[in-house]
Amino acid sequence: MPPPLTSPNVPYTRDVGRTVLDNGLTVLTRELRFSPTVTCMVWYGVGSRHEAAGETGCSHFLEHMLFKGTRRYAKGDIDRITMRNGGSNNAFTSHDFTAYYFNFASDRWETALDIEADRMVNTVFDPVEFAAEKKVVIEELKAGLDQPWGALMQELHATAFRTHPYRNPVIGWQADVEAATPDRIEAYYRRHYHPANATLVLVGDFRTAGALARVRERFGAIDSRAPAGDTVAAEPEQTAERRFRLAWRSDVPRLAVAYRAPGIGHPDSYALQVLAVVLAEGKASRLYQRLVERDRTVTFVTAEYGESRDATLFHVRAEGRGDASRDAIEAGIDEEIDRIAGGSIGHGALDRAQRQIEARFVFSMERAMDQALLFGQIETLDRLEYVDTYLERIRAVDAAELARAAGEYLSRANRTVGWLVDGAQETPD
Amino acid sequence: MKGPGRFHAERVVLSNGLTAILAENRALPSVSMNLAVLSGAIADSEEFAGTAIMTSRLLDEGTTHRTSLQIADAIESVGGSIDCDGSHDRTTIHLGVLGKDIDLGLDLVSDIVRNPAFSPERIEHERERVLSEIRSAQDRPQVVAGWEFNELVYRGHPLHRPAHGYPDSIRRIRRANIEGFHADRFVPGNAVVSVVGDFEHDDMRRRLEGAFGPWPAGDAASVQTPTPARQRDIRRRFLPVSSEQAHVYFGHLGIRRRDPDFYALQVLDTILGAGAGLTARIPRALRDEQGLAYSTFASITGSAGVEPGKFIAYIGTAPDNVPKAVAGFVDEVERIIDEPVTAPELADAQAYLTGSFVFGFESNAQIARFLINAEVFGLGFDYVETYPRYIEAVTPDAVRRAAAAHLTTRAYSLVVAGPEGAVDIDTL
Repeated sequence: MPPPLTSPNVPYTRDVGRTVLDNGLTVLTRELRFSPTVTCMVWYGVGSRHEAAGETGCSHFLEHMLFKGTRRYAKGDIDRITMRNGGSNNAFTSHDFTAYYFNFASDRWETALDIEADRMVNTVFDPVEFAAEKKVVIEELKAGLDQPWGALMQELHATAFRTHPYRNPVIGWQADVEAATPDRIEAYYRRHYHPANATLVLVGDFRTAGALARVRERFGAIDSRAPAGDTVAAEPEQTAERRFRLAWRSDVPRLAVAYRAPGIGHPDSYALQVLAVVLAEGKASRLYQRLVERDRTVTFVTAEYGESRDATLFHVRAEGRGDASRDAIEAGIDEEIDRIAGGSIGHGALDRAQRQIEARFVFSMERAMDQALLFGQIETLDRLEYVDTYLERIRAVDAAELARAAGEYLSRANRTVGWLVDGAQETPD
Repeated sequence: MKGPGRFHAERVVLSNGLTAILAENRALPSVSMNLAVLSGAIADSEEFAGTAIMTSRLLDEGTTHRTSLQIADAIESVGGSIDCDGSHDRTTIHLGVLGKDIDLGLDLVSDIVRNPAFSPERIEHERERVLSEIRSAQDRPQVVAGWEFNELVYRGHPLHRPAHGYPDSIRRIRRANIEGFHADRFVPGNAVVSVVGDFEHDDMRRRLEGAFGPWPAGDAASVQTPTPARQRDIRRRFLPVSSEQAHVYFGHLGIRRRDPDFYALQVLDTILGAGAGLTARIPRALRDEQGLAYSTFASITGSAGVEPGKFIAYIGTAPDNVPKAVAGFVDEVERIIDEPVTAPELADAQAYLTGSFVFGFESNAQIARFLINAEVFGLGFDYVETYPRYIEAVTPDAVRRAAAAHLTTRAYSLVVAGPEGAVDIDTL
């Protein structure tokens, strides 16, 4: 049984083992007895953040290629083995990492180790398969751009960041994806896929000592490599508000505001997480009460701020309702943020937000997969210990800190404001 | 509870006739509860379509005892959540709280299910929101194409319309419609509650009796729904949208969840269009081999419910590829009707279904949802043991017979949403 999560004295990761093999592979293990299943994840510390100009989308394309065959497994084998063993698998790529997972019953989970160890170094880049998969990736990219929020968020990131690769879509710019070659993706793979740039996470019904022996059998012989250099361009400071309007085939106005915000572990990041909840989580939140209930200018409003390796963005999004004016929607948001910066959040609202975060943490731990996701992500972005102090740091945020963070980060000069507007009615910027 | 699929559930009937299903799980300090009223949008009249969904949205928007904000503040202050949602065949209130806050949760759910205020001001507010959300959904061609597909497949049956109704019918809804739906349908004899998590069985039973016992007993009159007829013709519709991709829905009427062929068809789905990764024939042929799409699948059991679902094959692809994709659907459907599946295909599908279904029973919320379905569809709480037997009993011949009985390429509905002029629908 996990320790009580609300007790500050028991580190949540007390039962998580952390082992580093000689070749640099980090292995996190967490035994869970109540579930006869095992989740096996591999996290690589590479994502769109690591892509140079002209090669955007490489990390994501590579993720697709890891299902297309290795020297040992033919194309289709990985899915077929997963199926025959009654499991599930998938993968995802973000700005900061690429992750692969398998869920299997606990009597056959080691199959996942065989596959992961092999495709860490033996993936093949057959030109015919590569060309077919490129078409799939292009369709995925177009499906994203057919979504109004997909188009708006892509433009928002490209505007809010000038030089940092967070400005690029994870899936890449279409021209770059079209120009990708098997050689280039393979070189990228050789540079970033090796034990020292990976974290293997095992959560579920296994014995740690035996599991580690199985891990060493599969991964121990993989050559160690020096980490690739980190050449990420620094983002210049933002000094003035940026704005854009993007034409779309819709008369529903959609707003996305991006405030520049710090990365994981920054002392102010905890206050900003509380702030996101105070602003827009649940019907009692400030922006819901103001925009949905009082002004009735939007159908929904959200505030999002998550863990990220480098300085990132705090997003506020809303969808216009009826014939509400864009000015009225923005004014509602600005006034509520100004009030918070002026110290309007009392103990009740702060405590409610902190409890919401605590409960979300508990509820997000129910499945073995959920725990593997959390541990893998945090270890890849920072250090696992972040998890242990997380709730304590959230609980320590006080009203004054919240007001200061709102004033400092959610300011006009620190933001980019993007509107998706009706292309038939107005000319975009 | 020992693990996924190994929970021990017990069914009790409270003094007022409300069925409750309880399953302890002490592994986590939380409780998930579903209260399902077994009526939804199918019960709406055509004229006032949208009433059931509007009712579900108004439940937590104020009671005779609490305002909308008081309800939200109470549950959010303990980090809990209450979500009300409606579908075609039921209306569900989901509660998630830490175990220590269960009394507050029960009190709130009991209040919103029994005493919603349906104030005129809240009704107008929700009406306007629903209308705006429908307008917003028009921007997603995949959604619009799905609505149109239902219009073609379910002619003459309430499932032809979106559960939330149409803008015109939503504008017609009056408070009396909403109150009427609530009075007629929200009665203990027409509801099931499931509770899973950190509690002791007898204690929870007492708490449920305390919270819901005072809800006056009653049964709902049965709703007469026409049996939808399988189409005998080919129905095609093209929807012009200025999108990059074309969205294609191909298929026809499907089966009820209680259909005896359900398990054979689940095996069929796994082989044809919905297996692990890209193992099924349609994703393998259209995505993995031809590179036509990122998203493509086919299924007949996925939508099986109290009323018949539908067989759907879907693809999102470049407009030029639509004829090739539709031909691919037709080929694969004909092949699974005409040729028996191979023994290895069958064995793989069975291994996949019997092995992976435990992953649907890991969290308290998943189990709470399952227990409602177990009650509605008579699956039995030992379904975890019986399900593998149903799947393992499926033979190649059973798949072929089920395919021949429930799939066809001679009478179907086809909807394509894509760029104007890109596709000549009548040639497909």
